[in-house]
Amino acid sequence: MEPSITTTRSRRLRRISLGLSLIFACSLSATALAKETEAEKAAKEAAAQEKLLQVFVSEPYLELSTGPGRGYPVFHVVEREASIDVIYRRTDWFKVRDERGVEGWARAQDMRRTKLADGSPFVFNLGDRSGFTSHDWEIGLGGGRYGGANLISTYGAYSLTDNMKVELTFSQFLGNASNGYKAELGLNHVILPEWRLSPFLELGTGIVYVEPRATIVLPLDRTDQTAYVGAGLRFYLTRRFFVRADYRWHTIFTSRDDNEELEEWKVQIACFF
Amino acid sequence: MESTNRLLLLAAALAVTLLTSGCTLFRGDKQVEQQQTEEQAAAEEAAEDADSTPPRVIEPNVARRKIKTPKIDNENWEIGAGFGFLSIEDFGTNSTYAGMLTYHVTEDFFFRADLGQSTAGRTSFENLGGEIELLTGDERRFTYYSLSLGYNFLPGEVFLGRDTAMNSSFYVLAGIGSVDFAGDNRLTLNFGAGFRVLPTDWLAIHLGVQDRVFDSDLLGETKVTNNIETVLSATVFF
Repeated sequence: MEPSITTTRSRRLRRISLGLSLIFACSLSATALAKETEAEKAAKEAAAQEKLLQVFVSEPYLELSTGPGRGYPVFHVVEREASIDVIYRRTDWFKVRDERGVEGWARAQDMRRTKLADGSPFVFNLGDRSGFTSHDWEIGLGGGRYGGANLISTYGAYSLTDNMKVELTFSQFLGNASNGYKAELGLNHVILPEWRLSPFLELGTGIVYVEPRATIVLPLDRTDQTAYVGAGLRFYLTRRFFVRADYRWHTIFTSRDDNEELEEWKVQIACFF
Repeated sequence: MESTNRLLLLAAALAVTLLTSGCTLFRGDKQVEQQQTEEQAAAEEAAEDADSTPPRVIEPNVARRKIKTPKIDNENWEIGAGFGFLSIEDFGTNSTYAGMLTYHVTEDFFFRADLGQSTAGRTSFENLGGEIELLTGDERRFTYYSLSLGYNFLPGEVFLGRDTAMNSSFYVLAGIGSVDFAGDNRLTLNFGAGFRVLPTDWLAIHLGVQDRVFDSDLLGETKVTNNIETVLSATVFF
Protein backbone atom coordinates (compact mmCIF):
# COMPACT_ATOMS: atom_id res chain seq x y z
CA MET A 1 0.00 0.00 0.00
CA GLU A 2 1.34 3.37 -0.96
CA PRO A 3 0.61 6.25 1.39
CA SER A 4 -0.85 9.32 -0.23
CA ILE A 5 0.96 12.62 -0.04
CA THR A 6 -1.60 14.11 2.31
CA THR A 7 -1.40 11.28 4.83
CA THR A 8 2.42 11.43 4.81
CA ARG A 9 2.29 15.14 5.34
CA SER A 10 -0.28 14.96 8.12
CA ARG A 11 1.71 12.20 9.80
CA ARG A 12 4.82 14.30 9.61
CA LEU A 13 2.98 17.35 10.94
CA ARG A 14 1.61 15.26 13.77
CA ARG A 15 5.10 14.04 14.59
CA ILE A 16 6.55 17.53 14.49
CA SER A 17 3.80 18.91 16.73
CA LEU A 18 4.32 16.00 19.11
CA GLY A 19 8.02 16.74 19.14
CA LEU A 20 7.48 20.42 19.78
CA SER A 21 5.08 19.74 22.61
CA LEU A 22 7.59 17.31 24.10
CA ILE A 23 10.31 19.93 23.90
CA PHE A 24 8.00 22.47 25.51
CA ALA A 25 7.13 20.01 28.28
CA CYS A 26 10.82 19.22 28.76
CA SER A 27 11.80 22.87 29.09
CA LEU A 28 8.88 23.58 31.43
CA SER A 29 9.73 20.68 33.69
CA ALA A 30 13.39 21.65 33.57
CA THR A 31 12.65 25.17 34.81
CA ALA A 32 10.27 23.80 37.44
CA LEU A 33 12.99 21.41 38.52
CA ALA A 34 15.45 24.28 38.64
CA LYS A 35 13.17 26.32 40.91
CA GLU A 36 12.34 23.40 43.13
CA THR A 37 15.87 22.25 43.65
CA GLU A 38 17.18 25.75 44.09
CA ALA A 39 15.36 26.04 47.42
CA GLU A 40 16.62 22.60 48.42
CA LYS A 41 20.11 23.52 47.33
CA ALA A 42 20.08 26.68 49.44
CA ALA A 43 19.04 24.67 52.48
CA LYS A 44 21.69 22.08 51.80
CA GLU A 45 24.33 24.71 51.31
CA ALA A 46 23.41 26.37 54.58
CA ALA A 47 23.87 23.00 56.28
CA ALA A 48 27.14 22.35 54.54
CA GLN A 49 28.44 25.86 55.06
CA GLU A 50 30.96 24.73 57.64
CA LYS A 51 32.57 22.44 55.11
CA LEU A 52 33.31 25.22 52.61
CA LEU A 53 36.79 26.63 52.34
CA GLN A 54 37.08 30.09 53.86
CA VAL A 55 39.61 32.54 52.49
CA PHE A 56 40.36 36.17 53.33
CA VAL A 57 40.82 39.04 50.91
CA SER A 58 44.32 40.46 51.28
CA GLU A 59 44.30 42.87 48.35
CA PRO A 60 42.40 46.16 48.70
CA TYR A 61 39.32 44.48 47.22
CA LEU A 62 38.06 41.41 45.35
CA GLU A 63 35.73 41.81 42.39
CA LEU A 64 32.77 39.47 41.86
CA SER A 65 31.29 39.00 38.40
CA THR A 66 27.85 37.76 37.41
CA GLY A 67 29.26 34.89 35.35
CA PRO A 68 32.34 32.71 34.91
CA GLY A 69 33.75 34.62 31.95
CA ARG A 70 35.86 37.67 31.26
CA GLY A 71 33.02 39.69 29.79
CA TYR A 72 30.52 39.40 32.61
CA PRO A 73 29.99 42.61 34.58
CA VAL A 74 31.41 43.12 38.06
CA PHE A 75 28.44 43.62 40.37
CA HIS A 76 29.97 43.38 43.84
CA VAL A 77 33.22 44.09 45.63
CA VAL A 78 34.49 42.33 48.75
CA GLU A 79 36.76 44.53 50.85
CA ARG A 80 40.14 43.71 52.39
CA GLU A 81 40.18 41.36 55.41
CA ALA A 82 36.64 40.22 54.71
CA SER A 83 36.14 36.48 54.44
CA ILE A 84 34.58 34.58 51.56
CA ASP A 85 33.46 30.98 51.24
CA VAL A 86 34.55 29.06 48.14
CA ILE A 87 31.52 27.16 46.86
CA TYR A 88 33.06 25.54 43.77
CA ARG A 89 35.35 26.13 40.86
CA ARG A 90 34.57 26.07 37.15
CA THR A 91 37.53 26.33 34.78
CA ASP A 92 39.47 29.39 36.01
CA TRP A 93 36.63 30.94 37.99
CA PHE A 94 35.54 30.40 41.58
CA LYS A 95 31.98 30.70 42.74
CA VAL A 96 32.19 32.39 46.15
CA ARG A 97 29.88 33.74 48.82
CA ASP A 98 30.76 36.70 51.01
CA GLU A 99 29.79 37.33 54.66
CA ARG A 100 26.53 38.98 53.64
CA GLY A 101 25.53 36.03 51.51
CA VAL A 102 26.22 37.64 48.13
CA GLU A 103 27.28 35.00 45.60
CA GLY A 104 29.39 35.74 42.56
CA TRP A 105 32.28 34.60 40.43
CA ALA A 106 35.89 35.54 41.19
CA ARG A 107 38.80 35.12 38.80
CA ALA A 108 41.42 32.50 39.66
CA GLN A 109 44.22 35.07 39.35
CA ASP A 110 42.50 37.22 41.99
CA MET A 111 41.82 34.23 44.23
CA ARG A 112 45.54 33.45 44.13
CA ARG A 113 46.08 36.64 46.13
CA THR A 114 43.74 35.72 48.97
CA LYS A 115 44.87 34.14 52.24
CA LEU A 116 43.75 31.14 54.24
CA ALA A 117 42.69 31.48 57.89
CA ASP A 118 46.25 30.84 59.12
CA GLY A 119 47.64 33.60 56.92
CA SER A 120 49.22 31.33 54.35
CA PRO A 121 48.50 32.02 50.68
CA PHE A 122 45.69 30.16 48.93
CA VAL A 123 47.51 27.86 46.54
CA PHE A 124 45.84 25.89 43.78
CA ASN A 125 46.50 24.65 40.30
CA LEU A 126 46.21 27.54 37.87
CA GLY A 127 46.48 25.54 34.65
CA ASP A 128 49.69 27.00 33.26
CA ARG A 129 53.08 25.75 32.11
CA SER A 130 53.97 24.41 35.56
CA GLY A 131 50.72 22.47 35.48
CA PHE A 132 51.87 20.87 32.24
CA THR A 133 54.92 19.50 34.03
CA SER A 134 53.02 18.32 37.06
CA HIS A 135 49.34 17.37 37.08
CA ASP A 136 47.04 14.51 38.04
CA TRP A 137 44.80 13.84 35.06
CA GLU A 138 44.83 14.30 31.33
CA ILE A 139 42.29 13.53 28.64
CA GLY A 140 42.58 13.79 24.89
CA LEU A 141 41.03 12.92 21.57
CA GLY A 142 42.24 12.63 18.03
CA GLY A 143 42.71 10.51 14.98
CA GLY A 144 45.25 8.66 12.92
CA ARG A 145 45.88 5.39 11.13
CA TYR A 146 45.81 1.83 12.41
CA GLY A 147 47.11 -0.69 9.92
CA GLY A 148 45.38 0.51 6.78
CA ALA A 149 42.34 1.84 8.60
CA ASN A 150 41.27 5.24 9.86
CA LEU A 151 41.49 5.54 13.59
CA ILE A 152 39.43 7.59 16.06
CA SER A 153 40.96 7.59 19.48
CA THR A 154 40.34 9.00 22.94
CA TYR A 155 42.40 8.53 26.06
CA GLY A 156 42.60 9.37 29.73
CA ALA A 157 45.72 9.19 31.88
CA TYR A 158 46.49 9.43 35.57
CA SER A 159 49.94 10.61 36.69
CA LEU A 160 51.67 8.37 39.21
CA THR A 161 54.64 10.74 39.12
CA ASP A 162 55.53 13.62 36.80
CA ASN A 163 57.23 11.06 34.57
CA MET A 164 55.02 8.02 34.83
CA LYS A 165 51.39 7.83 33.80
CA VAL A 166 48.81 5.08 33.61
CA GLU A 167 46.91 5.43 30.40
CA LEU A 168 43.59 4.04 29.17
CA THR A 169 42.85 4.33 25.43
CA PHE A 170 39.63 3.61 23.57
CA SER A 171 39.73 3.58 19.79
CA GLN A 172 37.61 2.70 16.83
CA PHE A 173 39.12 1.86 13.47
CA LEU A 174 37.34 1.98 10.14
CA GLY A 175 39.01 0.27 7.21
CA ASN A 176 38.17 -1.04 3.80
CA ALA A 177 38.31 -4.67 4.91
CA SER A 178 37.22 -4.51 8.51
CA ASN A 179 36.08 -2.28 11.32
CA GLY A 180 36.60 -2.68 15.00
CA TYR A 181 37.18 -1.33 18.44
CA LYS A 182 40.06 -1.62 20.85
CA ALA A 183 40.69 -0.79 24.48
CA GLU A 184 44.21 -0.61 25.88
CA LEU A 185 45.77 -0.05 29.26
CA GLY A 186 49.41 0.95 29.43
CA LEU A 187 52.21 2.86 31.05
CA ASN A 188 53.52 6.09 29.61
CA HIS A 189 56.94 7.40 30.55
CA VAL A 190 57.49 11.09 29.84
CA ILE A 191 61.23 11.47 29.64
CA LEU A 192 61.54 15.23 30.31
CA PRO A 193 58.19 16.50 31.62
CA GLU A 194 59.52 20.03 32.24
CA TRP A 195 60.38 20.54 28.58
CA ARG A 196 57.83 22.17 26.32
CA LEU A 197 58.45 19.54 23.64
CA SER A 198 58.95 16.31 25.45
CA PRO A 199 59.42 12.76 24.20
CA PHE A 200 57.73 9.78 25.83
CA LEU A 201 57.81 6.00 25.69
CA GLU A 202 54.84 3.69 26.11
CA LEU A 203 54.08 0.06 26.74
CA GLY A 204 50.77 -1.66 27.25
CA THR A 205 48.23 -4.33 26.54
CA GLY A 206 44.57 -4.57 25.63
CA ILE A 207 41.89 -6.25 23.61
CA VAL A 208 40.86 -5.68 20.03
CA TYR A 209 37.52 -6.56 18.48
CA VAL A 210 37.45 -6.91 14.70
CA GLU A 211 34.35 -7.22 12.55
CA PRO A 212 34.53 -7.69 8.78
CA ARG A 213 32.83 -5.14 6.51
CA ALA A 214 29.38 -6.17 5.35
CA THR A 215 30.30 -6.10 1.69
CA ILE A 216 33.35 -8.32 1.96
CA VAL A 217 33.27 -11.96 2.96
CA LEU A 218 35.75 -12.61 5.76
CA PRO A 219 36.03 -14.97 8.69
CA LEU A 220 33.85 -14.37 11.74
CA ASP A 221 34.10 -11.45 14.15
CA ARG A 222 36.86 -12.01 16.62
CA THR A 223 38.26 -10.63 19.86
CA ASP A 224 41.99 -10.94 20.46
CA GLN A 225 44.52 -9.78 22.97
CA THR A 226 47.00 -7.19 21.86
CA ALA A 227 50.18 -5.60 23.20
CA TYR A 228 52.08 -2.54 22.09
CA VAL A 229 55.29 -0.60 22.46
CA GLY A 230 55.53 2.96 21.26
CA ALA A 231 57.10 6.35 21.39
CA GLY A 232 55.88 9.85 20.85
CA LEU A 233 56.15 13.54 21.48
CA ARG A 234 54.05 15.95 23.49
CA PHE A 235 54.03 19.68 22.97
CA TYR A 236 52.56 22.28 25.31
CA LEU A 237 50.30 24.73 23.47
CA THR A 238 48.74 27.16 25.94
CA ARG A 239 46.67 27.25 29.15
CA ARG A 240 45.74 23.60 29.76
CA PHE A 241 46.22 22.29 26.24
CA PHE A 242 48.89 20.22 24.61
CA VAL A 243 49.26 18.16 21.46
CA ARG A 244 50.65 14.68 21.44
CA ALA A 245 51.61 12.48 18.55
CA ASP A 246 52.70 8.88 18.91
CA TYR A 247 53.63 5.75 17.06
CA ARG A 248 52.69 2.32 18.41
CA TRP A 249 53.78 -1.04 17.22
CA HIS A 250 51.12 -3.66 17.97
CA THR A 251 51.30 -7.41 18.24
CA ILE A 252 47.91 -9.10 18.07
CA PHE A 253 47.83 -12.56 19.65
CA THR A 254 45.44 -14.23 17.23
CA SER A 255 44.00 -17.70 17.56
CA ARG A 256 45.68 -18.61 14.27
CA ASP A 257 49.26 -19.87 13.93
CA ASP A 258 50.78 -16.47 13.30
CA ASN A 259 50.57 -13.36 15.38
CA GLU A 260 49.56 -10.26 13.52
CA GLU A 261 51.68 -7.15 13.63
CA LEU A 262 50.27 -3.70 13.02
CA GLU A 263 51.49 -0.14 13.06
CA GLU A 264 49.52 2.74 14.51
CA TRP A 265 50.17 6.44 14.52
CA LYS A 266 47.93 9.19 15.72
CA VAL A 267 47.75 12.86 16.71
CA GLN A 268 45.65 13.96 19.66
CA ILE A 269 44.73 17.21 21.28
CA ALA A 270 44.71 16.87 25.02
CA CYS A 271 44.29 18.82 28.22
CA PHE A 272 45.46 18.31 31.77
CA PHE A 273 43.75 19.04 35.08
CA MET B 1 87.81 22.51 155.15
CA GLU B 2 85.78 25.12 153.50
CA SER B 3 88.12 25.13 150.50
CA THR B 4 87.69 21.38 150.01
CA ASN B 5 83.93 21.83 150.02
CA ARG B 6 84.26 24.58 147.46
CA LEU B 7 86.41 22.34 145.29
CA LEU B 8 83.89 19.55 145.53
CA LEU B 9 81.06 21.90 144.62
CA LEU B 10 83.09 23.29 141.76
CA ALA B 11 83.86 19.79 140.55
CA ALA B 12 80.20 18.84 140.82
CA ALA B 13 79.14 21.98 139.00
CA LEU B 14 81.73 21.31 136.29
CA ALA B 15 80.57 17.75 136.00
CA VAL B 16 76.96 18.88 135.66
CA THR B 17 77.87 21.54 133.11
CA LEU B 18 79.94 19.03 131.15
CA LEU B 19 77.18 16.52 131.28
CA THR B 20 74.50 18.97 130.24
CA SER B 21 76.66 20.48 127.56
CA GLY B 22 77.44 16.95 126.36
CA CYS B 23 73.77 16.27 126.22
CA THR B 24 73.13 19.48 124.37
CA LEU B 25 75.95 18.60 121.99
CA PHE B 26 74.53 15.18 121.51
CA ARG B 27 71.02 16.50 120.99
CA GLY B 28 72.38 19.16 118.67
CA ASP B 29 73.89 16.48 116.38
CA LYS B 30 70.57 14.80 116.20
CA GLN B 31 68.86 18.07 115.39
CA VAL B 32 71.36 18.79 112.61
CA GLU B 33 70.74 15.38 111.15
CA GLN B 34 67.01 15.96 111.39
CA GLN B 35 67.39 19.34 109.75
CA GLN B 36 69.52 17.83 106.98
CA THR B 37 66.93 15.15 106.24
CA GLU B 38 64.20 17.77 106.29
CA GLU B 39 66.19 19.89 103.85
CA GLN B 40 66.80 16.90 101.58
CA ALA B 41 63.12 16.06 101.55
CA ALA B 42 62.26 19.66 100.78
CA ALA B 43 64.81 19.71 97.97
CA GLU B 44 63.46 16.48 96.61
CA GLU B 45 59.98 17.81 96.79
CA ALA B 46 61.12 20.95 95.05
CA ALA B 47 62.79 18.88 92.38
CA GLU B 48 59.65 16.88 91.93
CA ASP B 49 57.69 20.09 91.68
CA ALA B 50 60.15 21.37 89.08
CA ASP B 51 59.54 18.27 86.97
CA SER B 52 55.76 18.68 86.91
CA THR B 53 55.41 22.45 86.43
CA PRO B 54 57.60 24.60 84.18
CA PRO B 55 59.48 27.51 85.64
CA ARG B 56 57.52 30.70 85.49
CA VAL B 57 60.00 32.57 83.36
CA ILE B 58 58.78 31.60 79.85
CA GLU B 59 55.34 30.38 79.13
CA PRO B 60 54.89 30.22 75.32
CA ASN B 61 51.23 29.28 75.19
CA VAL B 62 51.25 28.47 71.46
CA ALA B 63 48.40 26.13 70.70
CA ARG B 64 48.87 25.20 67.02
CA ARG B 65 45.59 25.81 65.27
CA LYS B 66 44.79 22.92 63.02
CA ILE B 67 43.37 24.41 59.88
CA LYS B 68 41.49 22.05 57.67
CA THR B 69 41.36 23.13 54.07
CA PRO B 70 38.36 21.46 52.50
CA LYS B 71 38.77 20.23 48.96
CA ILE B 72 37.30 22.59 46.44
CA ASP B 73 34.57 21.13 44.30
CA ASN B 74 35.45 21.34 40.61
CA GLU B 75 32.42 21.57 38.35
CA ASN B 76 33.89 21.34 34.88
CA TRP B 77 31.89 18.39 33.57
CA GLU B 78 28.51 18.73 31.96
CA ILE B 79 26.21 15.83 31.11
CA GLY B 80 22.83 15.78 29.51
CA ALA B 81 20.39 14.43 26.99
CA GLY B 82 18.16 15.81 24.33
CA PHE B 83 15.71 15.28 21.57
CA GLY B 84 15.65 16.61 18.04
CA PHE B 85 15.54 15.96 14.34
CA LEU B 86 18.11 14.41 12.07
CA SER B 87 17.96 14.76 8.35
CA ILE B 88 19.62 11.66 6.89
CA GLU B 89 20.48 12.37 3.28
CA ASP B 90 18.10 10.50 0.96
CA PHE B 91 16.26 8.98 3.93
CA GLY B 92 14.17 11.92 5.13
CA THR B 93 14.05 13.75 8.43
CA ASN B 94 13.42 11.76 11.57
CA SER B 95 13.45 12.24 15.30
CA THR B 96 16.69 11.60 17.13
CA TYR B 97 17.70 11.08 20.75
CA ALA B 98 21.10 12.28 21.84
CA GLY B 99 23.30 12.35 24.90
CA MET B 100 26.32 14.50 25.48
CA LEU B 101 29.25 14.74 27.86
CA THR B 102 31.33 17.89 27.97
CA TYR B 103 34.53 18.79 29.77
CA HIS B 104 35.15 22.52 30.05
CA VAL B 105 38.91 23.01 29.86
CA THR B 106 38.94 26.80 30.01
CA GLU B 107 36.18 29.38 29.88
CA ASP B 108 36.64 29.38 26.11
CA PHE B 109 37.33 25.80 25.06
CA PHE B 110 35.67 22.48 25.76
CA PHE B 111 35.81 18.85 24.71
CA ARG B 112 32.52 17.21 23.93
CA ALA B 113 31.37 13.67 23.22
CA ASP B 114 28.01 13.17 21.52
CA LEU B 115 26.09 9.95 21.19
CA GLY B 116 22.81 9.64 19.38
CA GLN B 117 20.35 7.39 17.65
CA SER B 118 17.74 7.87 14.99
CA THR B 119 15.87 5.67 12.55
CA ALA B 120 16.06 6.37 8.85
CA GLY B 121 12.87 6.72 6.86
CA ARG B 122 12.24 5.58 3.30
CA THR B 123 14.00 7.01 0.28
CA SER B 124 11.92 8.50 -2.50
CA PHE B 125 13.11 5.59 -4.63
CA GLU B 126 11.49 3.16 -2.19
CA ASN B 127 8.33 5.23 -1.98
CA LEU B 128 7.93 5.37 -5.74
CA GLY B 129 9.02 1.80 -6.34
CA GLY B 130 6.28 0.26 -4.21
CA GLU B 131 7.45 -2.89 -2.49
CA ILE B 132 11.18 -2.21 -2.76
CA GLU B 133 13.01 -2.18 0.60
CA LEU B 134 16.59 -0.94 0.47
CA LEU B 135 17.34 -1.64 4.11
CA THR B 136 16.03 -3.96 6.78
CA GLY B 137 14.64 -2.62 10.04
CA ASP B 138 17.92 -3.04 11.91
CA GLU B 139 19.90 -1.44 9.14
CA ARG B 140 17.72 1.65 9.28
CA ARG B 141 18.93 2.39 12.76
CA PHE B 142 21.32 5.32 12.56
CA THR B 143 23.66 5.34 15.58
CA TYR B 144 26.44 7.87 15.80
CA TYR B 145 29.00 9.32 18.12
CA SER B 146 31.44 12.16 17.79
CA LEU B 147 34.34 13.66 19.72
CA SER B 148 34.61 17.40 19.27
CA LEU B 149 36.52 20.43 20.34
CA GLY B 150 34.32 23.45 20.96
CA TYR B 151 34.86 27.15 21.36
CA ASN B 152 32.57 29.53 23.26
CA PHE B 153 32.50 32.05 20.49
CA LEU B 154 30.04 34.64 21.85
CA PRO B 155 29.53 34.41 25.60
CA GLY B 156 26.87 36.71 26.97
CA GLU B 157 23.62 37.11 28.80
CA VAL B 158 19.99 36.83 27.84
CA PHE B 159 17.24 38.75 29.57
CA LEU B 160 13.78 37.51 30.46
CA GLY B 161 11.82 40.57 31.45
CA ARG B 162 13.34 43.19 33.72
CA ASP B 163 14.56 41.03 36.57
CA THR B 164 15.98 37.86 35.08
CA ALA B 165 19.35 37.65 33.39
CA MET B 166 20.72 34.26 32.39
CA ASN B 167 24.26 33.54 31.25
CA SER B 168 24.46 32.23 27.73
CA SER B 169 26.94 31.32 25.07
CA PHE B 170 26.98 30.81 21.34
CA TYR B 171 29.54 28.16 20.53
CA VAL B 172 31.03 26.46 17.52
CA LEU B 173 32.45 22.95 17.47
CA ALA B 174 34.06 20.44 15.13
CA GLY B 175 35.27 16.90 15.51
CA ILE B 176 35.45 13.36 14.27
CA GLY B 177 33.37 10.32 14.96
CA SER B 178 31.65 7.39 13.45
CA VAL B 179 28.21 6.34 12.32
CA ASP B 180 26.71 2.88 12.27
CA PHE B 181 24.16 2.85 9.47
CA ALA B 182 22.97 0.38 6.84
CA GLY B 183 25.06 -2.42 8.33
CA ASP B 184 28.32 -0.54 8.16
CA ASN B 185 30.49 1.81 10.21
CA ARG B 186 31.71 4.98 8.59
CA LEU B 187 34.09 7.69 9.67
CA THR B 188 32.31 11.02 10.07
CA LEU B 189 33.43 14.58 10.36
CA ASN B 190 31.10 16.85 12.24
CA PHE B 191 30.86 20.58 12.63
CA GLY B 192 28.20 22.85 13.94
CA ALA B 193 27.13 25.55 16.31
CA GLY B 194 24.93 25.82 19.34
CA PHE B 195 23.36 28.18 21.78
CA ARG B 196 23.48 27.51 25.49
CA VAL B 197 21.44 29.25 28.18
CA LEU B 198 22.00 28.69 31.90
CA PRO B 199 18.86 29.28 34.00
CA THR B 200 21.02 28.49 37.04
CA ASP B 201 24.76 28.01 37.36
CA TRP B 202 24.42 24.23 37.21
CA LEU B 203 21.71 23.74 34.59
CA ALA B 204 22.01 24.51 30.88
CA ILE B 205 19.59 24.34 27.96
CA HIS B 206 21.22 23.79 24.58
CA LEU B 207 19.92 24.23 21.08
CA GLY B 208 22.49 22.94 18.64
CA VAL B 209 22.83 22.23 14.96
CA GLN B 210 25.51 19.92 13.62
CA ASP B 211 26.32 18.56 10.21
CA ARG B 212 27.64 15.00 10.18
CA VAL B 213 29.46 14.32 6.95
CA PHE B 214 30.42 10.88 5.69
CA ASP B 215 31.00 8.97 2.46
CA SER B 216 28.17 6.70 1.43
CA ASP B 217 27.84 4.24 -1.43
CA LEU B 218 24.35 3.04 -0.53
CA LEU B 219 22.70 4.34 -3.68
CA GLY B 220 25.24 3.07 -6.19
CA GLU B 221 27.99 5.63 -6.48
CA THR B 222 30.14 6.83 -3.57
CA LYS B 223 29.21 10.34 -2.53
CA VAL B 224 29.64 12.69 0.40
CA THR B 225 26.46 12.91 2.44
CA ASN B 226 25.51 15.78 4.73
CA ASN B 227 23.27 14.86 7.63
CA ILE B 228 22.07 17.86 9.53
CA GLU B 229 20.90 17.42 13.07
CA THR B 230 19.06 19.84 15.35
CA VAL B 231 18.88 18.90 19.01
CA LEU B 232 17.36 20.59 22.04
CA SER B 233 18.92 19.27 25.22
CA ALA B 234 19.21 19.90 28.92
CA THR B 235 22.51 19.38 30.75
CA VAL B 236 23.73 19.63 34.29
CA PHE B 237 27.16 20.58 35.57
CA PHE B 238 28.88 18.32 38.07
